[in-house]
Amino acid sequence: MKLYELAENTLGVVITPKGGTNGDRPAPNVGPQRRNPLGSSFLGLGAAFVSALGALYGLGWFVAQWDLYSSPLVALVSWVLLLLALVVGAVAARFSGERMPTWILVVFLAIVAVSVALDLYAIWDLHNVGAYATSATAAGLVILVIVTSRPGIEVLIADVLLGIALVVVIVVNVDIAGQPGILPQQITSVAFATIPATIAVLLIGGFRRMVQLELDRVLVQSTVNAPRFAVGMLASEELARLDLAAEELLDSVATGRTPLPLRPRTASVAASLATELRLHLIEGRRETWLYHAITESEMLGKSVSLVDKGSLAGLLDDRQRDGLLSAIWMLVSEKAKPSAQRTVEVQVGPIIPNPATGPGQKLAVPIVISTTGITRNRVDPSTWDALRRVGRYSDSTRDSSVKIDVECLVDNPADVQA
Amino acid sequence: MDQILKERDRLLQRTARAFGLAFTAVAFACLAAPGSVGPTTLVLIVPLFAILAFAQYRLGVSRALAWIVVILASGTAILFVVVTLETDTPTAGAAAGLGMLMSFSLASVAVVLASGRYRIPVLAVVVLTLGVLAVVLLEPWRPLVHSITLFAVGWSSMTLVGAWVVAAVPQVARRIASIGRAHRAERHASELEAQRRQNARLLHDTVLATLTLLAHSGVGVAPAALQQQAAEDARLLRQLRLGATPTPDRSGQYNLEPVEETVLGTTLESVKQRFGRMGLEVSWHGTGQVLLPSDVLDAFLLALAECLENVRRHSGVTEAHVTIVDDATTVRAMVTDAGVGFVLDDVDSARLGFKDSVVARLKEVGGQARLFSSPGSGTTVVLEVPR
Repeated sequence: MKLYELAENTLGVVITPKGGTNGDRPAPNVGPQRRNPLGSSFLGLGAAFVSALGALYGLGWFVAQWDLYSSPLVALVSWVLLLLALVVGAVAARFSGERMPTWILVVFLAIVAVSVALDLYAIWDLHNVGAYATSATAAGLVILVIVTSRPGIEVLIADVLLGIALVVVIVVNVDIAGQPGILPQQITSVAFATIPATIAVLLIGGFRRMVQLELDRVLVQSTVNAPRFAVGMLASEELARLDLAAEELLDSVATGRTPLPLRPRTASVAASLATELRLHLIEGRRETWLYHAITESEMLGKSVSLVDKGSLAGLLDDRQRDGLLSAIWMLVSEKAKPSAQRTVEVQVGPIIPNPATGPGQKLAVPIVISTTGITRNRVDPSTWDALRRVGRYSDSTRDSSVKIDVECLVDNPADVQA
Repeated sequence: MDQILKERDRLLQRTARAFGLAFTAVAFACLAAPGSVGPTTLVLIVPLFAILAFAQYRLGVSRALAWIVVILASGTAILFVVVTLETDTPTAGAAAGLGMLMSFSLASVAVVLASGRYRIPVLAVVVLTLGVLAVVLLEPWRPLVHSITLFAVGWSSMTLVGAWVVAAVPQVARRIASIGRAHRAERHASELEAQRRQNARLLHDTVLATLTLLAHSGVGVAPAALQQQAAEDARLLRQLRLGATPTPDRSGQYNLEPVEETVLGTTLESVKQRFGRMGLEVSWHGTGQVLLPSDVLDAFLLALAECLENVRRHSGVTEAHVTIVDDATTVRAMVTDAGVGFVLDDVDSARLGFKDSVVARLKEVGGQARLFSSPGSGTTVVLEVPR
């Protein structure tokens, strides 16, 4: 029985099979794990440019000090190898998709390593690595070409190894104690070789997080147009899966393939199917767009909790929903102090009893947003603009964290239906 | 779009901070190395470096232009102090440190200045001013070409980094937006599909009831009847799967009128409301168009209510399903819940009031009741009365 089939939605998220009787909640969306992070190839091109710029600078130095080498040919070979590595790395990063094959990485790093070794050999007799190392220093920038196509940690390891190699050679080869003025040059050359790649790894990591966050936000944004009660993204697929399993079971009973009375195993399959179907058919519809937005989002799911006993969030119109979602989003995403644990609790309702209830009278739904770890002055100003779209709001501070009361006016569902 | 721009600016600021602080440290290390500058100069530049580093740290979190001004001012001050005090004793170490400072540490602001409309002219002015200053003031310390190249490499690579990220973001945002549109369509389709299936269910579905009977191995129901019912249900599911919205007025031999419209339906509605008030939600399925002798109807309803009361008290769930079906000779109600269930032999059925209230009542009018349950898989009670 194909009870649990692996399914994948358009985002490549594998819908994890849910077992037993608690399949009523959609699993929190684990976020699209894209093999191809958006914008990577463009950033890779930029990294290649910076890399080439650095190589050009080093090459200039190499040409300028040609006469100083005791064996300039060795240094020349070192440079040829380094430029080869640059081309190999750039081409491979461009054409091997976003994930460079490991063997190309190994070849690339081997060429770079040989180039560094040859350069250090060529300048050994000069006993001033900082001043004369050219391709050995530029190698740190050449590593940049692979920064978008391999995991950051690999680039960092290569970078650190290069730094260690340079430091070791400097300690062995250069007489720092004897020549006091020589130290700064050694420092700058090591810094040149190691800092750019380190920061590039941080930059690329930050960029990917930014893309992931935006993707998450845009996907969650689609809940704004959902009906008052909505099923989650995965509900219909779940339902279809359960229906199919039920159909197969019923069919096999009807045709006599499965003899009656049923064996305990088949009976328990029927039991779990009935339970899951029941939960899906009835429970699922009580959840509002806001519930789905929070559970489907990687970002919101972690720190936002929702209390909405009357499912009143469903009454908000598109504009109010958009404002509320943006405000919550901005409260959570404001990461001035990454260490700070911030949580947001959104409480919707209960409806304020209005004496003037009647046709055409709007209902007042109070929304209370309580937070922890978010001080008033840390709140992004556009959060308030977003809240203004939801309704009249007032903010206060409790336990040094912001608390916001919004009075949200919504159409009376009774009027709408009438 | 606004959100991603905000994130982009944060990313640029953090990058500028990391770059600036790293090269500030390098520049300071060069200047503080033994023999680079005299002790007086060192004492003077230490606070300036502290200001520089603090401003660069603040640049990571604040978009205020003031921090950029502080960075550039303190950096230039360091340059002036060193150049003025060390005119007579230029060292390679001081030259290297100042080179790092002017060409890289200060150039980190270019990453931030690459975004924003008015920022590009600002950047141009800054680059020109600092470039002239650095090259001219450092002229006695190191070759002109060297200073110019280093300065150009530092500032152009930092500008490139900033501009590149700024250019990448709209492309990415466009692609994300199109993914978002696709996702919205998918959500809509998903919603419609779920709605279709659900509507089909709530109107005329006995799948749940049949499955529940099967969950108890189909014991107690005539195999032929169960098989026929299973065939009907499988057909309905097949129709659903193939995309049709089945709206038969009869399913097998059962009437499929909406229950609310009939006498029994109205009575059931009041039962439902009564239990709804007590915290048990009752949903029911199947036909409601049943005409019964009044004594039979009373017994039937009382037994039904008693079963629901048991669900409310013992099952641990707040929801029960009642499926009512009838044929030529009998009217049958199946009360199911997804609650805790129990082992039939373990619980004295009298304790549930079952024997007295349900079985006895139905027997009086010629009906019967059967109970199916096992721990963890809910309970089903089948009530039957003759028509």
